[in-house]
Amino acid sequence: MRDPHDAEDATQEAMLKALRHIDQCRTDNARPWLFAIIRNTCHSLLRRRGTTVAEVSFDETLHSQEGEAGQPDAILIRDADRESVHRALATLPLVYREVVVLRELQGLSYKEIAEVADVPIGTVMSRLGRARERLEFLLGGAAGKEGRK
Amino acid sequence: MICDEVRVRLDARVDDELPPAEMVEFDAHVGQCGDCRTLQERKLALRNALARELPQFEAPQSLRHELEEAARRAAGESMRPTRTPSRWWALALAASLAIVATGSWQLATTRANGAMLTQTLLESHVRSLIGEHLTDVVSSDLHTVKPWFNGRLDFSPPVYDFAGRGYPLLGGRLEYVGERKVAALVYGRRKHVINVFIWPADAGMAQGPPAATRHGYHLLHWNQTDFTYWVVSDLGTTELGEFAGLLKDADSAAATAPTRQ
Repeated sequence: MRDPHDAEDATQEAMLKALRHIDQCRTDNARPWLFAIIRNTCHSLLRRRGTTVAEVSFDETLHSQEGEAGQPDAILIRDADRESVHRALATLPLVYREVVVLRELQGLSYKEIAEVADVPIGTVMSRLGRARERLEFLLGGAAGKEGRK
Repeated sequence: MICDEVRVRLDARVDDELPPAEMVEFDAHVGQCGDCRTLQERKLALRNALARELPQFEAPQSLRHELEEAARRAAGESMRPTRTPSRWWALALAASLAIVATGSWQLATTRANGAMLTQTLLESHVRSLIGEHLTDVVSSDLHTVKPWFNGRLDFSPPVYDFAGRGYPLLGGRLEYVGERKVAALVYGRRKHVINVFIWPADAGMAQGPPAATRHGYHLLHWNQTDFTYWVVSDLGTTELGEFAGLLKDADSAAATAPTRQ
């Protein structure tokens, strides 16, 4: 959501929704269920504000970077500082960013992420793959001036 | 497996989502293909950076209050009252803010450090199983194992033998967690190995979750009488919990005993 107030609004709305529909949570594992509600709330709030949440492809930019700037460097990636990580993440379109956050921060499995984002597991894998590829290029010194200002 | 097959599985491999048979083939290929290894190293480097630098969010107190208030109203209106709201809210809030607030960087690194610590201990456990280095001192006698740490550590770890309860002491070894030397005690349960990592509670190390499951291994964590404990095993959670209970009981018994060994 980027903005802390929007995040709070979304959280509040999502939690109330979850509470109202808690009897619909049929699984033992409530986390994906809850995340799905949160995610949908965020998406609709963003949509109400006129932000595009549709899947955006960034393949073209990625490929052109790959061509001209060489391979990312694992050491640079590993030692990336907080600011670069945040900046790189912020460049990802929402549907890519969310799979990264669900996987890396929340530790959800592919199956759980698929449930949250309501897409097939194959889509989770390809989004995660492309998101990571993009982050590797941005952090690994291979994205030219755009990635490392 | 050829390079193309390996490359489409890179993410699944680092996320531990590959079926075991494919994992074996994958690792065999990466073991001898420098290019694919470079790609895998890059993935791992990225996971490292993200684990360290992804922000953790705490819900502001004000939002917590607002939600509790709103929940009370909602509970009043609906037929079914909410159960144990406070715990549920705390969990849900932390989780939800983490996902929604990406981009507004209030930084709290404690949990990220905890996650890294969990990972480190898990790796130590797994390494101790696959290598030769399960124990530096092999003995089921606690009076052999405990003194062995003298001069090797700046503390004397509590060592017990629960052979009578089916958890025999197998030995101990030194481990490094970050920069710090810690004690690793090895206990057995049938064919399972339990690693118990111990260091002084005031060592200024990161804390972790009280219980975690990663890659099929279970980790339990607590602090008690001067020491921080981490217990790692592939043993089922029930038995591991029982074992943790034995440790805790033995420790509090030792702490209240008039003379400590």
